[in-house]
Amino acid sequence: MTVERSRSSLRSAPYGRSDEPAAVTPASGRAASPRRWPRYARSERLAPYVLVLPAILVIALLRLWPLLLGVNFSFTGDAERDGRPVGFDNYATLAYDDLFQSALRNVGLLVLILPVAVAFPGLLATFIYLKVPGHRFFRSVYFFPAVLSPVIVGAIFNLVLAFDGPLNAMLGIAGIPAVDWLGDPHAAIFTVVGVHIWATFGMALVVFLAGFATLDGSTQDAARVDGASIPQIIWHVFIPGLSRTIQFVFVTTMIGMLTSMFGLLYVMTSGGPEGSTYLPEYYIWIQQGQMNRPALASAASTVLFLIMLTVGLLQVSLLGRAGRDD
Amino acid sequence: MKQRALWSVLLAAVLALAGCGSAGGSTTTDSGAGGKLVVWDWKSSDANAANFLAKAKTDFAKKHPGVTVELVAQPFDQYYTLLGSAIQAGKGPDVMLFNGGGQLRDRIGSLVALDQYIGPDKARLAGWDAFSKDGKIYAAPVTLQGHPIYYNKSMYEKAGLNPDKPATTWNDFLANCAAISQATGKKCLAMGNKEGIGIQFFMSSFGPGILTTQEYADWIAGKRDWQSPHVKKIFQLWKDAGDAGLNTDGANSTPMFMDMFGLFQGGKSSHVLGLMSDVGAWKDFNEFLTPQKVGVMLSPVITPGAVPVLGYDGGIGYGVAKWTKDPALAADLVRSLSCAEALKAYSTDAGAVAADTTIDTSNGGPALAVIVSEIKSGKPALHVALSAKTQDLMGRLSQGLLSGSVTVDEAVTQLAASDKAA
Repeated sequence: MTVERSRSSLRSAPYGRSDEPAAVTPASGRAASPRRWPRYARSERLAPYVLVLPAILVIALLRLWPLLLGVNFSFTGDAERDGRPVGFDNYATLAYDDLFQSALRNVGLLVLILPVAVAFPGLLATFIYLKVPGHRFFRSVYFFPAVLSPVIVGAIFNLVLAFDGPLNAMLGIAGIPAVDWLGDPHAAIFTVVGVHIWATFGMALVVFLAGFATLDGSTQDAARVDGASIPQIIWHVFIPGLSRTIQFVFVTTMIGMLTSMFGLLYVMTSGGPEGSTYLPEYYIWIQQGQMNRPALASAASTVLFLIMLTVGLLQVSLLGRAGRDD
Repeated sequence: MKQRALWSVLLAAVLALAGCGSAGGSTTTDSGAGGKLVVWDWKSSDANAANFLAKAKTDFAKKHPGVTVELVAQPFDQYYTLLGSAIQAGKGPDVMLFNGGGQLRDRIGSLVALDQYIGPDKARLAGWDAFSKDGKIYAAPVTLQGHPIYYNKSMYEKAGLNPDKPATTWNDFLANCAAISQATGKKCLAMGNKEGIGIQFFMSSFGPGILTTQEYADWIAGKRDWQSPHVKKIFQLWKDAGDAGLNTDGANSTPMFMDMFGLFQGGKSSHVLGLMSDVGAWKDFNEFLTPQKVGVMLSPVITPGAVPVLGYDGGIGYGVAKWTKDPALAADLVRSLSCAEALKAYSTDAGAVAADTTIDTSNGGPALAVIVSEIKSGKPALHVALSAKTQDLMGRLSQGLLSGSVTVDEAVTQLAASDKAA
């Protein structure tokens, strides 16, 4: 439609070629004949769909179709009941499985830790924006962990956090008793989340810096002239101005925590100790492979998908409402 | 527009909830094109298995000259996940390597029973139990795997103890450990329970000294009374060993493979619950401690009247997939993989105790000699009789016992429930 309108406007506007005779015929015989318009218009109308088709096909075939298949499989059985519909049995198994409940509790914990995971890069980005001494150095160094693969990060921290490793040795020098970072069931999940934040905050930092670049400096200057302190500037100028950025970082960090921690879990704790660092992703992997229960794994995947959908939508609506000054 | 969107979502939902098709995939597709057999394992990329596989292929070529054997090595960490996907697609290999016990028994639905093919090998090889279920055999053993207790003879000498006479009762064992800790400052038992496997070794190494002969036989036969005092004693002892400081520090965050064995090899502990074949066994320890200083002992007598034996069973073995085109051909390959020449090559190269008990093992050092002498009177390892699900639960509970978040009674109750459901 837009194309037709612009085409007609092309016709009506004078071309300004005063040296040409009045009868200006548009090129290549694509004349004003009304009969030719519909054909051209139709191909113009179809063009956008054709151009978008590859992306749609990719999403439909590689995302939506497997999603439907997975939900479908979650209603079938395992082992002897392979291929037979079993209704909600798998979901019932999940509801009574201590391990899966532990995984869901950990998801809740991640949601609670999320503000910390967002505030940390946000604060660092603020300091870089405020040009603390060494900000150029920090800007490049902070991104470095994000380029490391989770396996490398896991291997490094396995060594650092070992019971007889350097971190406990340093604590020993300071007189603090050694902590079994990866072996204490109460500490392990926080340890792994901490390492994950260390490994991924670089990405969020870069997004925040980009957000800062879009800020209008005049509001900040006005606040400073009015005598606002740094915390006041942060709270009243930066955070409202960055609301869209914060929203984006919240959602992407949540998705990252729920779906990208598998590598760290696998390398650092194998879901232990005592299953205290289980996450739904790890549970799915174990059930499908080692325990040979793919239908149960499909049910767990469906539950994970619903959780992510809910949490994501909630976040977007909550944060959208909070930062409503656009 | 909105109505149409609603209808399409509804249609998609109905299709999704139909519950048709199977997550496990069908097993009717065939593979193994004529003249080729595909073998999956985690050994074919090992340099020390090269000789073994070459000899097996030669033996097979003698019987079936026209058939190619393709070996595909998978990483051990993901072996069962990959195998699971192959099984679900019904398009896996013809012959597959398995660890004996739960991992094989969980998947017999995809394996061919080999009883009719391996008759002639039954007497020559040992360790069939780990590869059997319900009286049928599903893989032929290549190695034997068991759990002797290794000790460092130099540390015994340093503490003034007789290195050739290890303890025969639990109190003596504790006393020896105390004496060694006094003299050398080292802990008694190297323990790595990060993967949750430490308890399996503990059960199979010390179990024979705790359960009576009848209880042991019942356990293997499937009649397991988890609430009985002797079974509870296994877990109580596990907890006590941790509480009393017998274990090396941070057991729950030390991986067994290979840190636990590394601790023993590095002289950080006087004992370790080791294996018989491949890693964490006599060959590795011989290298670090010298063959003369590696001692092997059975469990001390913990319950009066118990007869400690070597707990061992089939270690690794090759099985035949159900979807293979010619089961007899694949079974012949399996037999070649456990033929005498191949096993002899494997035992010397990889430091394994081959399933063929007629092979000469005299150049493996005194530790190996002790192990081999105990094979005849040995019995199937206790933990191998459990399903993979129960072993997984037991691993997590064992970590809880060491950290104090679970009591022995709670642990055995949960294990009893899991074992019954299996």
